[in-house]
Amino acid sequence: MEAVSLTIDGVPVTVEKGRTVLQAAIEAGVRVPYYCYHPGLDIDGSCRVCIVKIEKMPKLQTSCSTVCSEGMVVSTTDPEVADARAAVFEFLLINHPLDCPVCDKGGECPLQDFSYSFGPDESRMDFPRRVFDGEGVMADVDFGPTLMLNRNRCILCTRCIRFMREIDGDAQISVADRGNGSEIATFDEEGVHSLLSGNLMDVCPVGAITTRDYRFKSRPWDNPAVADTVCTMCSKGCHTSVWLKGKPEWARGSKLVRITPRLAPEINGYWMCDIGRFGYHWVEGERRLVRPIVRGADGAQAAAGWHDALRTVGMLLGAAREGGSGALRFVVSAHAATEEMFVLKGLMEALGEAAAATVHWQRSEKDQPAAVKFTIPVTDAPNVNGARDLGYAVGAGNDGVPDLSALQQAVNAGSVKAVYVVDPGPAGSIGDLSWLAAARTAGRPAVLIVQAVESSPLTDAADVVLPGSAWLEKDGLFTNDQGRVQGASRALAPPGDARDDWSILVDVAHALGVTLGYAQAGDVRKAIAEALPGGPYADVDQVTFARPVKASHWLRTSNPSERWKWDFMFQDLPPVKGHSVQTEQGYVDGRVLPLRPVG
Amino acid sequence: MSFHPQMDYAPARFHRSARRLADQGEPFAFTPERQAAFDRSVARYPADRRRSAILAALYLVQEQQGYVSRQAMRFVATQVACTPAEVEDVVTYYVMYYRRPVGTYVLAVCRTLSCALNGAERVTEALAEALGVEPGGTDATGTFTLTEFECLGACDRAPVVMVNNEHWQERLTPDRVPRFLEDLRARGLAALGGCLHAGAEPGDRAS
Repeated sequence: MEAVSLTIDGVPVTVEKGRTVLQAAIEAGVRVPYYCYHPGLDIDGSCRVCIVKIEKMPKLQTSCSTVCSEGMVVSTTDPEVADARAAVFEFLLINHPLDCPVCDKGGECPLQDFSYSFGPDESRMDFPRRVFDGEGVMADVDFGPTLMLNRNRCILCTRCIRFMREIDGDAQISVADRGNGSEIATFDEEGVHSLLSGNLMDVCPVGAITTRDYRFKSRPWDNPAVADTVCTMCSKGCHTSVWLKGKPEWARGSKLVRITPRLAPEINGYWMCDIGRFGYHWVEGERRLVRPIVRGADGAQAAAGWHDALRTVGMLLGAAREGGSGALRFVVSAHAATEEMFVLKGLMEALGEAAAATVHWQRSEKDQPAAVKFTIPVTDAPNVNGARDLGYAVGAGNDGVPDLSALQQAVNAGSVKAVYVVDPGPAGSIGDLSWLAAARTAGRPAVLIVQAVESSPLTDAADVVLPGSAWLEKDGLFTNDQGRVQGASRALAPPGDARDDWSILVDVAHALGVTLGYAQAGDVRKAIAEALPGGPYADVDQVTFARPVKASHWLRTSNPSERWKWDFMFQDLPPVKGHSVQTEQGYVDGRVLPLRPVG
Repeated sequence: MSFHPQMDYAPARFHRSARRLADQGEPFAFTPERQAAFDRSVARYPADRRRSAILAALYLVQEQQGYVSRQAMRFVATQVACTPAEVEDVVTYYVMYYRRPVGTYVLAVCRTLSCALNGAERVTEALAEALGVEPGGTDATGTFTLTEFECLGACDRAPVVMVNNEHWQERLTPDRVPRFLEDLRARGLAALGGCLHAGAEPGDRAS
């Protein structure tokens, strides 16, 4: 790396050659405001607020578009700079409505923060503001299926245009008209139709682009906790952050309010897709299974306790394992974490040749432009490679099409006595198993046990349903399409009586008389590390899982290039009364049932 | 009292933008001669820089159609390998591209400093009154379209009016407006004074 040394506000700074003055200032922790600059996008230089004074240069320079050179002497605090910067802020606020109290960005808005820090004390603008589509919230217009646009709030930084052009590869947004009439627009008001549209809300530095999913749902100060985790909706494994609303336990509505991407340069960069961003509602949805269900002697399903359910499972599976080779079949969703697959593998080894397992998952082609820079894999499951590494047969691998036809033939032939489905993903994510539900209803196989998180036709047909945990409710290892082993962290508690899936499998093993000896998830990871030495799993017992942390802490530590500007936020927030988010200090996992003999 | 009861937050109630959209127009394609002309201008640029020919393509559209319709924007997008939004960006930026049909004569009154000081606004008002249109509009007969432009570079002979992007009438004052329109109707572009030279008219200061 060729280095360049310069001085910013009297502080000597050394940066890589080719970095801009703004990037050097951010790295050095010097406070320079910016809007049009985004570390993941091209440099534009249109917002003008990052101006600095550089010695020997005749005029003030935009630091985002000035490349560092040896011996530069930069000032960001010179009175000339401060005055010019304040003047730019005055211009930015000529037409910007003061609807911060109803604006979704309020509280996490760089325009608010920077105006307070660098702008003039008061406005001299006493004439009416330019208005595009209406006043206040009614100015919000459709901007595609996921977004709303408020043109009055826009400061024309063109980050959204550059995102669509550079990352999405389909420039659907442009600036229509010119001068004072300039506005962000899509052709024919068609709106943005892209699987990456949610990122436009992230890049928008004001409240002009908001998502329909998050709008009016929460405010930044209502989200006191953030948990860093990994998305499991496809095999890419994007790093994400889960925002939890602080509210009393008895209050209605969900706790999970949004998911945003977290910088991971080699996986997802600054971005994530809409499937992961907006597809989380099932986690706190109405269809979650919260109690074990057992089909009684009368043929009707009824809620049961864990003890009864596990005893029934032990009885049913115990009878099936006597049915000969391949009589007991496991179908594992590739949404299962590596721990769960490993425990199941231990169980199958103990059961011998009576048991066999098949991994299955859902695939879907994503409609993305040819020039897209952020591709979404066809595999809608996070852990196909994890299953492969544990020795499960996964057909053609991560990108291949999973195959259940052998199992289906065996079921039709009647050689399968019992099928046990491990499905901790949303309903349908394991692929099409409607044939299995129909087969159970027809009596072959005689036993269907489903360990799932959402009710579905499959759970309706099952003899025993065991409620597991969604990925946000457990610590789990997932191996993405690049073969990276990543830890997805727990952000919420599982609902009702639902439990960690690995511990359910341990108890099922126990009900069958197999003692696996895992008391906590760490034990399983240690066993994985011992079983798969030398590879990417060699140190999985050392993986640390994040816990929900205070949002202010998260904001300061997350994205290094955006870090300092959050320093002013969340300073004096009152505590939310009675909110029950478990933070690192108060987190207790009391949900693992003690191992005890069954029956 | 509940929080702002008039405010309905349901997405179904949010309205579409009221931004006025130009008409879609008929499905558009270049005539063979214009397609050949376009191919010649595209050939001047590298193969992966077709979009450099966008201005030329839009001028050809305007030559053929008189204005640039939405359909034509879509057509140009396919021709220069970019998105319709990017074409719209260009069309709406340059005032010499018209987004709706215009009259036979497009009168562009300069409104920048020198002309403004010399009463260009009064000229616009007089033209608007005589034609019965607002600036930006086309009169009932479809003969005249009145617009305002920024500096046309004839500051010493202000106020100036440009006709059809290529012809000028200089020193147009409000009282000369009725006769100017009459002449234009009667004699066409030949009625225009064209570029005056310094001293060509009494009162001009010899340079």
